[in-house]
Amino acid sequence: MNQILRNTLTDSDIRRRTQIFSILDEIGEDLDLTETQFERARQSYGAVGDWLSESTDSLLVSVSVYLQGSSALGTAVKPIGRREFDVDLICLCAGVASGIAPAVLKEAVGNRLKEHVTYARLLEEKKRCWRLNYAGDFHLDLSPTIANPFCVNRGELVPDRTLQEWHPTNPRAYKTLFDERAALQPTFIGKHIAMQRDEGTVEPFPVRETMKGILRRIVQLLKRHRDIFYENNTEDVAPISVIITTLAMQAYAYCVRQHVFEDEMDVLVETIRMMPHFIDHPILDGRRGYAILNETTHGENFADNWNKDERRAPAFYTWHAQALSDFEALRDAVGQDRLSLNMERSFGSVVTDRVLGNRVGAVSDGRKSGLLSVAPLIGLTTSKAAASISVPANTFFGDQ
Amino acid sequence: MKGRGGRQDLTLSQQLFFLRANPIIGGAGTVRANRLTWQISVQPTPLARSYQADIAYSPGKMPTVRINEPDLEYLAQGRPLPHVYTNPLRLCLHLPGTEDWDSTKRIDQTIIPWIYLWIYYFEDWLGTDDWKGEGKHPEDEREDPGNRSLRRAIAQS
Repeated sequence: MNQILRNTLTDSDIRRRTQIFSILDEIGEDLDLTETQFERARQSYGAVGDWLSESTDSLLVSVSVYLQGSSALGTAVKPIGRREFDVDLICLCAGVASGIAPAVLKEAVGNRLKEHVTYARLLEEKKRCWRLNYAGDFHLDLSPTIANPFCVNRGELVPDRTLQEWHPTNPRAYKTLFDERAALQPTFIGKHIAMQRDEGTVEPFPVRETMKGILRRIVQLLKRHRDIFYENNTEDVAPISVIITTLAMQAYAYCVRQHVFEDEMDVLVETIRMMPHFIDHPILDGRRGYAILNETTHGENFADNWNKDERRAPAFYTWHAQALSDFEALRDAVGQDRLSLNMERSFGSVVTDRVLGNRVGAVSDGRKSGLLSVAPLIGLTTSKAAASISVPANTFFGDQ
Repeated sequence: MKGRGGRQDLTLSQQLFFLRANPIIGGAGTVRANRLTWQISVQPTPLARSYQADIAYSPGKMPTVRINEPDLEYLAQGRPLPHVYTNPLRLCLHLPGTEDWDSTKRIDQTIIPWIYLWIYYFEDWLGTDDWKGEGKHPEDEREDPGNRSLRRAIAQS
């Protein structure tokens, strides 16, 4: 395994970067669906699934409804300026042959939903799917699919944008592949591990374990960065989430298998750096095009639109270059104010204020309750450290 | 001299002894010409910059704290610094004339942890323009006649 060549980090760098990663982890958590929201979404789509499968319509005889996309992968990100999450569902009509027109199947699903008093009220028709708007929390986007007889990987077919044709897709296998890659554990050089062992209390303010793993956080943070980067752009050329997710999972798996890392921030930045290497450049109609293929079925190119709209590929590369440089700046930030400014630029001021404000709040609470102390190397802490001096009560004063 | 609550005032040598013996804070200093000086580097969290602080203390006065490095005013980019005394620039870590600090208290257990706290809130303030460490300003109690001892204490500092 290779260790990427760069300047050796001091112990203090590693402590600083460990804390930065922990703050980014909190950003990811803040932007995620809460347990309650997730549970409500689960109950809602369970009920929708039951309702559809109880239909007498022959098209819906063996229907199953399951989660796909970011809420299935654990990479959901709160949209900017709107409270509702997008929760994407697949409505697999396994008993239907591929000869059926996409519009007919979509209509069958819609008709069944309209038979339900509540769903009829929440229902909104979208181009390729049906949307159920649960005010305040999320909306469920329900895409009808059928089994793909030509896919050896138990793939499915989903209506295309125009509702004219079926397109190969495979959300279940995609999720399996993503989960496998997310479970890959990076190898860290001995120093980092030794420091973690020696400084079991290195985290100054107790936070919960990172349950998500690094890959899910990387994807969340990149999607948020994309949302902020394109917030005021009306061209609709921002890279779509599945492209970010696919490139990130390939780059992560590659990096984790090839490299030994200094720490989590190293994994994060190197994964982002590698992402463009997983874009293929096939010759299409005599010119060089772009392909980001779904590895779990044949014929799904997530970058299809890059070949139809020439603004899209440059839009990706521009965003990616900015993201790489912003995440490098986050990694290298010294001073809470520098970190805070970099975070605002990357993720927006609202979530930055909330996450950093919570940390300052923990210090202030510790100060009031007499639990705050100063420990060697980590400074202010509310954890019980073996050697520390407590911070006595004081009132700051001053001319100004 | 007897301090408050029957406790003895600490001499400069005693303060120096405690500063040197404290395994947490680090730094170095001396007592010369009835004046204690102590230099330390303070990094309130692994995220923060490392600040070089100079503490000076003479009996009968309040300890003063200056930050040599980095330049606080440069970092503030023209904004007036919160909770400092000016000319020369010193940190205001406690309310003069209160129990916060008196000459029976150990500098290594009071002034120094407060420097950590001050810098912590300072870096947050740099990023947010909001001082979350609370505190008081002279004008907060300008109407209070009982505030004279406070003003006197400031004048002494």
